[in-house]
Amino acid sequence: MTGLACARVRVLLEPYVDGELEQTDPETARAVRDHLVTCSDCRRQHQQTVSLPFRMKALRSPAPPTTLVAGVMSSIAPQPQASRAAWGLLVPEALLGAFILWYVSGLDGLTALASGAWVNLQGLAFWGSGTAPLPSVPVADVLLLGAFITLTAIAAYHLSLLAKLDQTVAPRLTERRRA
Amino acid sequence: MHAQAPAQAFPMTGTPDARTLATGQLAHEATGGDLDAFEELVRRMQRRVYGFAYQHLRDLDEAHDLTQEIFVKLYRNLARYDAERPFEPWFWKLAANTTINYRRKRVPTPTDQSADQATTGPESGFPAHDPALIDALAQLDPAYRLPILLHYYADLPLEQVAQSLSLTVPAIKSRLHRARALLRNSLAESEEADQS
Repeated sequence: MTGLACARVRVLLEPYVDGELEQTDPETARAVRDHLVTCSDCRRQHQQTVSLPFRMKALRSPAPPTTLVAGVMSSIAPQPQASRAAWGLLVPEALLGAFILWYVSGLDGLTALASGAWVNLQGLAFWGSGTAPLPSVPVADVLLLGAFITLTAIAAYHLSLLAKLDQTVAPRLTERRRA
Repeated sequence: MHAQAPAQAFPMTGTPDARTLATGQLAHEATGGDLDAFEELVRRMQRRVYGFAYQHLRDLDEAHDLTQEIFVKLYRNLARYDAERPFEPWFWKLAANTTINYRRKRVPTPTDQSADQATTGPESGFPAHDPALIDALAQLDPAYRLPILLHYYADLPLEQVAQSLSLTVPAIKSRLHRARALLRNSLAESEEADQS
């Protein structure tokens, strides 16, 4: 085999240093070796190739900041304020729910509510057509409507809080940190 | 480190102290909701992950942000970890992807800056003991720098680097050879510049 050109040797230096060239093409590996004996420029490149992995492994890095672990843990922990707010909302929801249930109070209550709503709608229709005066709606019905609207609004806010909490905590992970 | 035993090789009895568990087992415990296990996992991995992030970004604050992002992403993806398989390749794949996406979000990247700034500038905040190599690394395309850092700095074997970057082992070998050749040329040029 004739001698190799410097450009060719430099392309082969990494597989040569890793020993791969010796395994796949021993004749070319021998030619590289011979070239290195006679060429000082390529010998310098060869030395760089040999030392590079060791220099890479010897690279130093600063120690991680002492706050790193705490920062990670606080990033993944559910926000206590949001968590408290999410739980706290159960109280007005329960109160409003209890009021609505007490007012409706079973099948009779539901029937009365439906018939009352029907009568009110009819009254409004007659008032609209000018055949009857404006119907008087019972105060309790207004309260019920208000309670229902409030409950809906609180429940929507509650759901938004829960959705935020869900983004913070992985689905399968539940808070059971040991003391 | 290198190849890790699957989590099942460490059968659980009761609730063992997190400090005595292997990383794969810690990940398995954390998947079940054990925050102590996750904290211990972060504690064990933080030095290598932070060093990897720092060598990639050459900036203390950015390295801190990236490290934190990697661990938060790890936490959010723990449910996808298959405890039958070794933890490290899975983790480093996630770390590599997070790093690639993190770089895309950053403007400008340190490699856009001059080599002098990348090695000794105040934004580095850490004295470089091999400035020529650090210059050369900073100039390297991330597609070459990542496998170099994973293999030589994070100390992953070729198979795990290949898995982490979703490439074949021959492709990783070829990329490492090319990266080392580029570094070698860069180092030779800087030596010539120093001599002249």
